[in-house]
Amino acid sequence: MLEQQVVNGLMLGSVYALVAVAFTLAIGILNFLNFSIPGLFMVSGMLTWLLLRQAAPWPLAALGAVAAAGALSLLVERFTYRLMRTSEHFVPLVTSMAFLILLENLMLIGWGSDQQRVPVPFGSASAHLGPVIVSVPQLLGLGCAVLAVACMDFLLKKTRLGRGVRTIAEDAQLATLLGVPVERVVPLIFLFGGLFTGLAGFLFAVNYQQASPFMGEEVALKGISAMVVGGMGNIWGAILGGLLIGLVETFAIFGLGARAVDLCVYGALLAILFVRPTGLLGGVSRHQRM
Amino acid sequence: MKTSLEMRSVSLGFGGLKVLDALSFAVGSGERLALIGPNGAGKTTVFNILTGVYAPDAGQVLLDGADITRLASRFRIRRGLARTFQNIRLMPHLSVLENVMVAQYAHTPGWLGMLQPVGFGRANRWRAEARAALEAAGLGKYAAQLAGGLPYGVQKRIELVRALAARPRVLLLDEPAAGLNPAESEALHEALEAVARSGVTLVVVEHDMHFVERLCTRVVVLNFGCKIAEGAVAAVRGNPLVREAYLGSERDAA
Amino acid sequence: MSGYLEGVLALLCINTVLAYGAFLPMSAGQLNLGIAAFVAIGAYSSGYASNALGLNPILAALGGFAVAASVGWLVAFPILRTRGIYLALATFALNQVVQGTILNVDAVGGAAGYPVSAHVGFPVVAAFAIAVFALVAALFHTRFGISVTAVKDDERAADVMGLSVRGMQSAAFTVGAGLAGLAGALYAHYFNYIEVQNYGVLFSIYVMLYVLLGGTQTVYGPLLGAALFNLLPELLRGSAAWRYVIFACLIIAIMSLRPQGVLVKR
Repeated sequence: MLEQQVVNGLMLGSVYALVAVAFTLAIGILNFLNFSIPGLFMVSGMLTWLLLRQAAPWPLAALGAVAAAGALSLLVERFTYRLMRTSEHFVPLVTSMAFLILLENLMLIGWGSDQQRVPVPFGSASAHLGPVIVSVPQLLGLGCAVLAVACMDFLLKKTRLGRGVRTIAEDAQLATLLGVPVERVVPLIFLFGGLFTGLAGFLFAVNYQQASPFMGEEVALKGISAMVVGGMGNIWGAILGGLLIGLVETFAIFGLGARAVDLCVYGALLAILFVRPTGLLGGVSRHQRM
Repeated sequence: MKTSLEMRSVSLGFGGLKVLDALSFAVGSGERLALIGPNGAGKTTVFNILTGVYAPDAGQVLLDGADITRLASRFRIRRGLARTFQNIRLMPHLSVLENVMVAQYAHTPGWLGMLQPVGFGRANRWRAEARAALEAAGLGKYAAQLAGGLPYGVQKRIELVRALAARPRVLLLDEPAAGLNPAESEALHEALEAVARSGVTLVVVEHDMHFVERLCTRVVVLNFGCKIAEGAVAAVRGNPLVREAYLGSERDAA
Repeated sequence: MSGYLEGVLALLCINTVLAYGAFLPMSAGQLNLGIAAFVAIGAYSSGYASNALGLNPILAALGGFAVAASVGWLVAFPILRTRGIYLALATFALNQVVQGTILNVDAVGGAAGYPVSAHVGFPVVAAFAIAVFALVAALFHTRFGISVTAVKDDERAADVMGLSVRGMQSAAFTVGAGLAGLAGALYAHYFNYIEVQNYGVLFSIYVMLYVLLGGTQTVYGPLLGAALFNLLPELLRGSAAWRYVIFACLIIAIMSLRPQGVLVKR
């Protein structure tokens, strides 16, 4: 029974990990807490539901959901980071919050506040590993998360683009002076964040067969906790943090009941912020504007 | 002459870099001391230690004989130590008048002092005092304007008025003449002469040697965080160590 | 006055008190992303006081202020040691933790909501709103107004100029938390029903956004923000969700064009 909980926790954790990566890219590189990410997560999840209930094949639904999140992330960039240079420091954070409100309420207007049931595209295929049952989509989810982060890691460390990104993370003005095409790279960073978030939204909708306009608030927001616990600015920290928070949540439900989840997940965030703000894998701790 | 301000064997390092190395000097009451040296010698760091922005790794700072080495920054102005900044640090969202009034808090510290009304009417005592100081400095017309948008030379003069609003006994001036044209520089000299004549001890960090010569009686020369010379301006000028320190930096600058 | 109109005005008054609760830390340069937590603390503690302890609702409301301010004072020390993003994160985490905690307290209804029996009439609510506005406006006409803006503009320089930066930030945070609690208590006793689910981070976001919309440079900005947020939608009709859509678009536009908000100094 316990092993099953661990597996469930890791599977949930892979969703959190993807969202945490999106958050951590924004904070680590752009020093920007991007509150629109839960909104993108929700759009992706809802779009997955919409497409699957029209009996679209699941790869199409995945593509659609991820692409939508990516496209929206570029829109967010246009109104947040691009203004950061010319404005007060809190503007991008505030605008990203406005996007979250905008997306959630547009969705409420369009489809109401009910939680929707997402049809399962995989049947009930599952694997039995010893005493533990893992469903195919769950496995897919974990695999995707790790693969995506590994690719991101490779990109950041081994490519020219990655070097440009890391220069921007150090000092954005310096990056411009050094010839890094900041106006092209920054939207790319947002796009990656959007794609990760979109993937997370799709996986959540398909694994847990639910989508609602509130799923951003209820699920993706925990990605912030995952990001900080793992270490802000560190994408492997985001994976670790995500898996840990997934475990915390699962065991909180298992041991204390559903009502204790928020307390445990965000209690962990609060604790880490006071005890070891750089998180488990260290990470960015330089001057924190907003 | 009574010693007003003193640094005893102060050292400070950042990472592996030693910024100040066992630095000692003293300023007498009513004296005008210049602190000079090439860029990077540690002059602003000295001011930062004197005002409590940094705590030294070793050594002491004494104000009127009392050890203030560990005293928090905000208490030092209340004890009569005020400063101006190398990069002007006025509050951009306050008016010029309000900027000057910030320093008045030193006279009325504590919660009761914080809750003193200053907002309504010209009759308010604190507003009147600040306005008078600005008028005396020829800056009265800027009183209601936000400090953020004003010309550099004007902002520098406002900073001086602000520092003086605390009625300090010791005034630290970080490159007060930098960026000023000759007319402004002359006006500054006049203003500082008047301040010094009223009994305020001056410590001035400056690169403009002509300005230093006219205003100050004694000079301390720093290089790489150490005192390399001290004495009357003329004597220091002839010092070969000082020439080398500056010649080196002049060569680089040329 | 019709019941509906009175309800709208009462909500405006409550939101005005709340706006000043959010404004105070902002005036010192701090964003309290957990303001909803203090609203909840004030609402639930005052509700419990009047329900279970039989306290007069006005006293209970003042009690709500006190409890929220005390919690604010307690967390101000650890939280204000953090800076920038960490401060935003810490206040956010606090919000969720408080919400999560109340959810588990069955004595106040937990997830089912908490009915509050004692009622305060509109005149009481209006009186509180006017009093809060007058007091905050008066406060900003004291040396505090100048000093807190100095701290927000340049902490280092303010410190050297003799101001107690940490003291002022703590005070602003604490009193702000108290006002948020007072707003929560007034809501609890006017509308007589509170639900902990309403006090999540999105609520904090709404409050912050309308204060920023009004402008944080003057003490009249929050009043304008609260008025815009409450009254404009009444003029526009439409569902609650449409109001928020318009509000969000307004914020995005304002942050692009005029991030200082509507009311600025000079």
